[in-house]
Amino acid sequence: MNKRQTRIFAIASTAIASLVFLVLTVDSHRQFPKLTNSDTITDSVVRGQNVWHEFNCINCHTIFGEGAYYAPDLTKITEHRGAPYLTAFMKDPSKFYDEQKHRRVMPKLNMTDGQIADLIAFMDWVSKVDNQGWPPRPILVTGSSIPGTDFSLTKQQQSGEASKESGTLPPGQRPVASGNDPIALGQALFRTAVPTCAACHSTAPGVNLAGPTLANIAATAEKTIASPDYKGKAKTVEEYIRESIMEPSAYLHPGPMYSANGTSFMPTTYKDSLSKEQIDQLVAYLATFK
Amino acid sequence: MRYRSQSVAYWYFAFALILFGLQLVFGLLSAAKYLGPDPLLNILPFDVTKTIHTNLLIVWVLTGFMGATYWIVSDESRSELYSVKLAYIQLGIWAIMGLTAVIGYLFGYGTGNKLLEQPLPHKLAIVVCMLIFLYNIGMTVRKSGRFTTTEGVLLLGLGSSALLYLPALLHYENYVVSIYYRWWTIHLWVEGVWEMIQGSFLAYLLIRLSGADREVLEKWLYVIVGLVFIAGILGTAHHYYWVGVPHYWLPLGGFFSALEPVALIGMAMYAYFAMRRTGMQHPNSLALHWTIGSAVFTLFGAGLLGLAHTFPDINKWTHGTLITAMHGHAAFYGAYAMIVMAVIVYAMPSMTVGRKDEGSTIGYWAFWLQIGGMFGMTLSFATAGIGQVYLERVLGIGYLDVQLKIQVHFLMLVATASMFAIGVGLFIYDFFRHAPRLVPLDDDEEILPHTAPGSRLANEQTG
Repeated sequence: MNKRQTRIFAIASTAIASLVFLVLTVDSHRQFPKLTNSDTITDSVVRGQNVWHEFNCINCHTIFGEGAYYAPDLTKITEHRGAPYLTAFMKDPSKFYDEQKHRRVMPKLNMTDGQIADLIAFMDWVSKVDNQGWPPRPILVTGSSIPGTDFSLTKQQQSGEASKESGTLPPGQRPVASGNDPIALGQALFRTAVPTCAACHSTAPGVNLAGPTLANIAATAEKTIASPDYKGKAKTVEEYIRESIMEPSAYLHPGPMYSANGTSFMPTTYKDSLSKEQIDQLVAYLATFK
Repeated sequence: MRYRSQSVAYWYFAFALILFGLQLVFGLLSAAKYLGPDPLLNILPFDVTKTIHTNLLIVWVLTGFMGATYWIVSDESRSELYSVKLAYIQLGIWAIMGLTAVIGYLFGYGTGNKLLEQPLPHKLAIVVCMLIFLYNIGMTVRKSGRFTTTEGVLLLGLGSSALLYLPALLHYENYVVSIYYRWWTIHLWVEGVWEMIQGSFLAYLLIRLSGADREVLEKWLYVIVGLVFIAGILGTAHHYYWVGVPHYWLPLGGFFSALEPVALIGMAMYAYFAMRRTGMQHPNSLALHWTIGSAVFTLFGAGLLGLAHTFPDINKWTHGTLITAMHGHAAFYGAYAMIVMAVIVYAMPSMTVGRKDEGSTIGYWAFWLQIGGMFGMTLSFATAGIGQVYLERVLGIGYLDVQLKIQVHFLMLVATASMFAIGVGLFIYDFFRHAPRLVPLDDDEEILPHTAPGSRLANEQTG
């Protein structure tokens, strides 16, 4: 090729690629309203986007996997956790995470209630955008889909020996003291009650162990209470969770691996072994899983 | 230095290197925060140090591009610059813009839009600077009446960079649409028009450092530009994975970004064969290290490491993890930081007083410490990222618990980043220890008693 031909090659390939790109851009605009549910972009969502920008969230977190890699991805966060929990978290993150243990924590941003509500509305809109099914499996902020994998090796060995004083909290878990937020206390209890809730229940979506997953328990509870099959006494999500802990057989989760002959396989000992406050804490924690 | 006005390049390079130094301060701070706990959590949190780290990078690389262009255009067009005064005014506005932006970030002023955090007045100042710059360069070429292909590609690259910045000035209520156009600026800069700039710098350096024929090198420059755009423009698709755009961007991204390394392989081969066929025709072998180094490191960082996670089936697991940081650091350093340093090192002996033509021992230490340090940082991000993908994305362990398990890689990151910082420190020291030259060299004037026989004036015209 001589110089003139190579110049034509450079110009022609650029022109063709640009043209195709522009045509696809027009077509993308045609599809944006449906893919992004643009009719649900309310004033609150727009204000929430401004809050997201104002606090420079993207330079620690990611959404749609874009941003910095210093804090968890938030694309689907509103599918995992309900608004009351997210609000409590954003008001003071150190109530739920410990910087000494996890080696990082979100600074307290002093957002107003209105800003928090708008931000949650924005995140909720984000979670519903059709983004080609990403992530392929849910990204958790903390904890693990498979019990024990978040432990250190020493902890894993100790928990295998089931000694009482070994402490079954993973290394990153915030240490708790009475007087802490009940949700934080409930989260610790979930790992330390005997027998451990976490041995049979995962809080990761879609991960069913010996017991069903507790992710989306709030939504599941609402659906169950409303269904004609439900014969228990609970009227609210909290009452339903409490009933399930105290009387596991009051409602049987469908599936032959969870119950037989009308009796749930879940231990019935919690109503005696746990105090009333402890059960309140567990209920408060589990109700955060939307 | 053949032309008096080329000395403006010195001040652009000086400002660029000061910002480069500052960039590393904020980079090291950000890396240290990965080790935690962070005593500066409420004074200087990660989001601020990270914003400053990336913004300083963009500003210093652009400053370097501008300085290098002022230097190169004089040489290529064989003429003084159209207006030295305008060049200094531009540098003044640019410097005020850059420094006030950084100070603003410290106090939380910024748009919170990744890489485009500059507040609107700053964005407008950037546009004004670009226009002054393009006008000055354009008039220089016009006045001289000599316009080379290298210059043409360079000017087109710079002009398109200015044009592609414009979508960044707009605001969209739909966040997905705003992501869509954000990449027009970011991606089409770094994987499109900036590669034109890199390619033309490479051509300029190779024409002068090697004995290769200008016609041959410029012919290949066109081929490279063609390859960059075939793959680069539609390769924007790899930024459209998982963000709420139509599904056809997935296969398009896989196909065209797999082609992106072709242009980079072309660039590396181009540099290698230019040297191999015609040999070294210039005493500045340190500049040659930077020139070939840039072509090779680009192939590694941008080409190979980009390819490593560009297919949708892989990217769905690696998207939004430290794997991206691995690719980002190596690619940006190889392609843009190194090419700017190559031009600086090439220009230094004749731009400053009392420097040897072939480079100094400190200069070589700076080169190898940087290369080694950046390679180590890339490996640290890679091993951390692979661990993160496996534990967090595949096994489903929580983000925070995984970050605890991969702490050792962050230790490695801080160690190798320190090594890199020493290399950069030496480079900056080496640059500033000689005073700038203000009057042009004569053809028969020697830079210093040189050791290489047959050496010629640093920017003697061979093309």
